[in-house]
Amino acid sequence: MGEDGESPKLNHSFLRDYVTEADVISTVEFNQTGDLLATGDKGGRVVIFQREAENVKPHISGEYNVYSTFQSHEPDFDYLKSLEIEEKINKIRWLPQQNAAHFLLSTNDKTIKLWKVSERDRRPEGYNLKDEEGRLKDISTVTSLQVPVLKPTDLMVEVRPRRVFANGHTYHINSISVNSDGETYLSADDLRINMWHLDITDRSFNIVDIKPANMEDLTEVITAAEFHPHHCHLFVYSSSKGTLRLCDMRASALCDKHAKIFEEPEDPGNRSFFSEIISSVSDVKFSHSGRYLLTRDYLTVKVWDLNMEKGPVETYQVHEYLRSKLCSLYENDCIFDKFECVWNSTDSVIMTGAYNSFFRMFDRETGRGVTLEAWRESSKPRAVLRTRRVYTGGRRRRGDVGVDSLDFTKKILHMAWHPAENIIAIAATNNLYIFQDRVNPENQ
Amino acid sequence: MEYKVEAHRIMSISLGKIYNSRVQRGGIKLHKNLLVSLVLRSARQVYLSDYYSGVCLNTQHVEAKEWELMDSNQEKPLTPAPEESLSPSTDCNQNPVVPEDPEVQHTSQAVEDSTDLHSVYSKHQAEEESSSEDSTTDVSLTSSPVTCESQCEAKGAEVSSSDCEADANPATVTEGNSQQPPKAHSCSNRKRTAEKTASNDSPVKRTKVTSSNSSEEEAEEMDTGNVSNLITIFGSSFSGLLTKESSEPEAETEDSDSGSGQICCDQMLKNLNPWSTAIVAF
Repeated sequence: MGEDGESPKLNHSFLRDYVTEADVISTVEFNQTGDLLATGDKGGRVVIFQREAENVKPHISGEYNVYSTFQSHEPDFDYLKSLEIEEKINKIRWLPQQNAAHFLLSTNDKTIKLWKVSERDRRPEGYNLKDEEGRLKDISTVTSLQVPVLKPTDLMVEVRPRRVFANGHTYHINSISVNSDGETYLSADDLRINMWHLDITDRSFNIVDIKPANMEDLTEVITAAEFHPHHCHLFVYSSSKGTLRLCDMRASALCDKHAKIFEEPEDPGNRSFFSEIISSVSDVKFSHSGRYLLTRDYLTVKVWDLNMEKGPVETYQVHEYLRSKLCSLYENDCIFDKFECVWNSTDSVIMTGAYNSFFRMFDRETGRGVTLEAWRESSKPRAVLRTRRVYTGGRRRRGDVGVDSLDFTKKILHMAWHPAENIIAIAATNNLYIFQDRVNPENQ
Repeated sequence: MEYKVEAHRIMSISLGKIYNSRVQRGGIKLHKNLLVSLVLRSARQVYLSDYYSGVCLNTQHVEAKEWELMDSNQEKPLTPAPEESLSPSTDCNQNPVVPEDPEVQHTSQAVEDSTDLHSVYSKHQAEEESSSEDSTTDVSLTSSPVTCESQCEAKGAEVSSSDCEADANPATVTEGNSQQPPKAHSCSNRKRTAEKTASNDSPVKRTKVTSSNSSEEEAEEMDTGNVSNLITIFGSSFSGLLTKESSEPEAETEDSDSGSGQICCDQMLKNLNPWSTAIVAF
């Protein structure tokens, strides 16, 4: 299994629980083929893993190994507002591959960058005026002319910034999404969504602006946005009030008026001080088919049908046992955690993270959910993941974890699912876990 | 009453979070601060509404007993009552007797629904000066419903008149003699209002300090809307109420036993630790 480059032989038991803040993974994303996996961390670094070519035995898929590491963003300072700008990578999105090179977008709170990842495995040799190290030759030693030829060398991965899209956002960028047209992408902050052209860095179009004239009237912010996977004119954005708005860019230049709004009326029985916080949508994802939307709020994941606005078609409880603990979760700030959610390649399974290094998968056909754990102690390479359970009453089985013994510092916020196979990448603080389904490696 | 403590605690925690967010690296996070301010607002609403409903709860028991006693009483002319209740401050001058609390219930509901809390405080201040003694002897339900109605009108509150009218019927049966107790009654209620809002004001005062700082810095990024609403509502009468706090405890302890339990809790609440932590936070 691919993990970050820690040697398992060293016993740093006293250091094990100490995690450098800068190493905490903040985003995970597969590219369109699934051969490359990119992670961003709080220190502004991006690590790209590449899948090895499949072994001779077809049912053992290749492992992911580090392909390239580079510093994407540096800490910055806004002198006008006297504000530090964090270098934490909020999102990474791959562009569809068009030639031998790979392109990805990475963003922190304020600036988006386009990176070109290319390989070099040969170099020209045999120059007339320079020797192999590049020093100028003594002309008197040159007796004949030669034509330089390309010779194979060790593989080198070069990552170069190709575009920097700066100064487009006043507030913190929370999402980026590449359009299916292959030319544009959107970036969303708390109050505005901008559309950029990949080749133009000094201009962007503002397509959504929900900033009120008087900031005291502010009631909701944008929490996530995504383009439709097939229709280049449609995008969706979620709000802190739990609503989803589908916008059509053909309707007008400024899409403040939504084409559709998806919201579920609040259940008055569950009203509490924290109802507004837990209804805030932390992530929204279109299904691969483009027909459904997946949203994550604090306690549930919901599947919405684009054709039905009045409510979700499916709701899954991720950790309902936390509903009675909302006050203490508010005190320790856990209630503000933003969990991501993902679809599998056939849109039949959805997955999201939870606490205590647990993550949950829900089978949409059966409606059943399973809890799995991403924890080094219990995950040896090639070991089978066993399901876990949180004890909430009834018969207590061995291995059940009580609600009060959940570790809220071990949270699984970021994850990705391979676009074609049953391979998942889970980020648990500073560790990356990659799990493969050996029983059903390919999706039916 | 636990709700009040809880709301209190949540309010101080929220204010602490807002303060801490300003020193966090990366600048103020608009989303998180918006959510915190929503929680702060909800907690404040609960705190305010719970105060009155808590008072009502305590008084309802006594009210039932009193109605049994008063069953024999006949109707009294109701007409004088409205005129007197329209000028409650002057009535307080006459005889600040604090009767039982069905009136409190009505007036408290009126106040609860009233958005014009300024008028409450100004009335309180006027009465505070005029009345210094509160003694409860008679229980009078005489003009309580009528007083309630007029007070409702006076405050322009959205009180459902059904509240007043429903109680009008039993009260007319059980009218007592004096018309002054209801007014003093309303005085005492306003004192409770003031005392409670005085304790509310302490976080307001602190948020006022911080919000003015924050508005200087990042007006765009900091949502001070809810906090400033708090300030506008309580700010002007805060200092006045503070000076009267010392006189209030004595007055309150002499109140009828129906409200005393509540009042003691209120006093305790002022000394609760959450407030000191709120002070430390700022």
